[in-house]
Amino acid sequence: MSFEVFRDVVKPIVAGFGITARRLAEQKVTVQYPDERREQFDRTRWRHVLTRYDSGLERCIGCSLCAGACPARCIYVEAAENTDDERYSPGERYAVRYEINMLRCIFCGYCQEACPTGAIVLRKDFELANYEREDFIYTKEMLLEPIRR
Amino acid sequence: MVKLTINGIELEAPQGELIVETVKRLGLEIPVFCYHPRMKAVGMCRMCLVETGFKQPDGSVRMMPKPQAGCTLPASEGLVVVTDSEAIHRDRKGVLEFLLINHPLDCPICDRGGECPLQNNTMAYGPSTTRFIEMKRHLPKAFPLSQYVTLDLERCIQCGRCVRFTEEISGDSDLAFRFRGAEMQPSTFQLTDFESRFSGNVIEICPVGALTSAKYRFRARPWDLETSPGVCTECSNGCNVWFDHRAGKQVRINGRANDGVNEEWTCDKGKFGHDWYNSTSRLTKPLVRRGDQFVPASWSEAYEEILAAFADKGGKVAGLTGPRVSNEGLFLFKRLFSEAFGSDNVDHRWRSGPVPTGPVPRPLPIASLESKRHILVFGTHLAEDLPIVHLRVRKAWSQSGATVDVAYSAANEVERFAKASLRCRPGAEAALAKCLLGEAVWSGKATVSDAVRAELAGFNADSAEEKSGVSGATVRAAAARLGEGAVVLTSDRLLDAPEPPSAWKSLKALAEATGSEFVCYPTGTNAAGAELLGLVPDHGLSTWQILEGCKDGKIEALWLVEADPSSTHDAALETVPFLVYQGTLENEAMAYASVVLPMAAPAEQDGTWTNCEGRVQRFRQAIAPPGEAKPAWRVFAECLLRARPSTPFFNPGEVMEEIARVHPVFAPAQYSLLPEEGALVARESLVGEPAGGGG
Amino acid sequence: MSELLQIGAQRPKAPEPDSLELRFSPTAVEELEALKTHYPDLKSCVLPTLWIAQREYGGHLSPEAIAEVAHRLSRSYAEVEGVATFYSMYNTAHKPGRHLIEVCTCLSCHMCGAYRIVDHLEEKLGIKLGETTPDGVFSIHEVECLDACDRAPVLQVGDQYVGPVTPETVDELLERLRSNPDSTVVQLADAVVKVHLRDGKA
Repeated sequence: MSFEVFRDVVKPIVAGFGITARRLAEQKVTVQYPDERREQFDRTRWRHVLTRYDSGLERCIGCSLCAGACPARCIYVEAAENTDDERYSPGERYAVRYEINMLRCIFCGYCQEACPTGAIVLRKDFELANYEREDFIYTKEMLLEPIRR
Repeated sequence: MVKLTINGIELEAPQGELIVETVKRLGLEIPVFCYHPRMKAVGMCRMCLVETGFKQPDGSVRMMPKPQAGCTLPASEGLVVVTDSEAIHRDRKGVLEFLLINHPLDCPICDRGGECPLQNNTMAYGPSTTRFIEMKRHLPKAFPLSQYVTLDLERCIQCGRCVRFTEEISGDSDLAFRFRGAEMQPSTFQLTDFESRFSGNVIEICPVGALTSAKYRFRARPWDLETSPGVCTECSNGCNVWFDHRAGKQVRINGRANDGVNEEWTCDKGKFGHDWYNSTSRLTKPLVRRGDQFVPASWSEAYEEILAAFADKGGKVAGLTGPRVSNEGLFLFKRLFSEAFGSDNVDHRWRSGPVPTGPVPRPLPIASLESKRHILVFGTHLAEDLPIVHLRVRKAWSQSGATVDVAYSAANEVERFAKASLRCRPGAEAALAKCLLGEAVWSGKATVSDAVRAELAGFNADSAEEKSGVSGATVRAAAARLGEGAVVLTSDRLLDAPEPPSAWKSLKALAEATGSEFVCYPTGTNAAGAELLGLVPDHGLSTWQILEGCKDGKIEALWLVEADPSSTHDAALETVPFLVYQGTLENEAMAYASVVLPMAAPAEQDGTWTNCEGRVQRFRQAIAPPGEAKPAWRVFAECLLRARPSTPFFNPGEVMEEIARVHPVFAPAQYSLLPEEGALVARESLVGEPAGGGG
Repeated sequence: MSELLQIGAQRPKAPEPDSLELRFSPTAVEELEALKTHYPDLKSCVLPTLWIAQREYGGHLSPEAIAEVAHRLSRSYAEVEGVATFYSMYNTAHKPGRHLIEVCTCLSCHMCGAYRIVDHLEEKLGIKLGETTPDGVFSIHEVECLDACDRAPVLQVGDQYVGPVTPETVDELLERLRSNPDSTVVQLADAVVKVHLRDGKA
């Protein structure tokens, strides 16, 4: 075995496996998804949620600022007027339709930043896979947070 | 011209030009709220403050100690203006902070948000925070001032644009500032209904969201909208509008500037009258009658049925069209009937009286009314029939000092500024016209032929009271005001009056004999285009003859385009063996139809429209037609092709080229030549004279 | 001001000119015709005509009074209402009593005890500022400087200044006014109209 072979072949192999051997003792970073879930960072931005006030009224006023801020143009908002009999949000205006095209969304969080009432927030639910393209159009009913009892 | 200096740039400007306009011409900007170029400057909002000074004889500049309002400052020799100094920025900040003290800042739910001058100016010049921590003024929100206009008093910054609009432009003075100080509010008398015919304009000129549209309320934000330049097709004025749409639905109409037509105003009929675009009764599929019911059919099935009933039937078939068909459609309609069906029975006129004939001078351009000395509005409810012409007539009165007389049988808006109102008995228009002519003749002001003179026996100012219900003195004065520089203005509503040819003839004679100009504006959307394109029978049957013919079985097949005579002639529609109804909406006439064809609305097709002054304007397609609806011109072209194979027309531009070939007056209207503001194409006679051409 | 706004979503129509109930007396019409000749156009004539109306309608410029003025001067209702509600000496908000006592509470009067007078009036009449006694005899208003600081604290009743006043002289004044069957509010309006007419003749 010449010096060159030792330098160029054996030494790197031993050194490489050395790293592996040292790491074997340490804790593993991979998790057994979906049996295990990694904890997410506080500011993770995944699926959108339309939140409510404690009273159960919707925060969203249908102002469409999120749609205006959206760089991917994936939000569609249609507003309507609250009446005393049918009240969805505290003020005059509420969103009668609120749709997000999740295929287009780039999860930049601009909508959350633009929202004047803090209605739309991006939360940690990241499992958004689906089978049909149509199913990626998230409607207001899907986005709206359930009323807390 | 005077020399002045703006921000160190020396330039010349006409003496007396307002500095805000001069600065705009220079390409710089002075922020404004209350200033509007079409209304008198009042200097209420103080947003346009500029520093001023004067050049001294020794060449130095002596600045004024305090800023001045740029909107009320006229250009004068040696004036030095600074619009961009530290002090001015501080002033603007102060003004905006002050205006925002009581402004609720509910921009997210405000319909103006996104296109709001207050928002824009605050972003550009305003302070980022406020020092006002006290309670804001609270007032009722969303008060319905009328069925169209919603008033939000909290948002008002009291600039007075709306008040000045009703005072200076529409002339009804329906809005005024009530109360004073912080409580000052623009509103109607006792908050009663805001009944102006032009109320929609105050929504557009409001620099905040205080006056918003009830129909557009919460329907979209500006960044949701797509907008296309359009032409209003609700009446014959042909106002230029912005056609705003969202996801293929019409949302709102805003005025678009065209100094020749509507300046930048719209009437409420046009601004709020486009709801039918989104109606659920829009026709979307061709329907063919099978027994008692309609079955959806393909276009080719429908064409086959139609051609079987119409082709080569000659005088036994007829076609009637309504006003809302483009020039291209009308032209091909006439050609289809003459070439494929061999029939001359086509008409577009729905006025009840027979139509007078004889050459008429070309219609005056609307804008030229401004320069007239005197205008006699005769036999027409001007604000109702021709709202934009009404605004011009009023402008002639208010800005150029023209006098206006009005002769109509009912109360109308022109009376508010008219020198004299000749309110005749309903139906006495003909007699009144004769009395006016008689008075002009007997007083020696005008000369007429002996035949006419003989007809006028007994008609003069003294007999006017008894014959028309107008006092003799008024008639005498009104006749005296006619002459050089005067206009006798009427609309085809005059033809609804009894004895229309007589009224029309006398009126025209009156104008000619006194040396005044005569103009009769049509009221149907594209009636002027139909006249120019010869959509009147050359020797065939006219509208009422056709409908009578249907009743006695002389007409075997009738084609109605966007017209519904069922209220007056349902027997005709019931009797006629084969009826085609082509239109945008379901209606009563449809019940009698054998074939129903869905038609694309004006904004859903490319085409040109001729307004009352003979201006051809192009309206490019803005939205898609519903379902399978097709533009009228395409339907006619396809029918023509099936009946007589020839080179087809692929687009309306080609149709217009053909029109220009057949009717040379339309040469400037070819799409490659047509300017954005339209082209005046009227020929010497617009009404009456039998038209040649048409294939 | 905001009671007018409480009509909610109903949209009442402005009265038709033909349906107006015109209440100007023949004298008032004569005065109006004379006034019209004093001005280049009818717009300028609105202020004195409102004074005539205030007199003719018993001291109160009701919406009907404003509508009549607008009708007689061929102005729009809104325009005349805007003028009437701007000036504080036109009683547009509500109908005042027979005698309107206006208490100056500006600096000089304030320092000389104007609010003592106000308190006294309120207690004596049982009403607050801006209100009218139930029998419709007295109203009290607070006004800005009456330009009579030498007589502070000063009151204005009709076209007369009263002052300086003390609670005792106020009591006397009230007694005197109570026994006066004529309305000093109307007298004031009449006096102003007369001034306008005289100015024109001069």
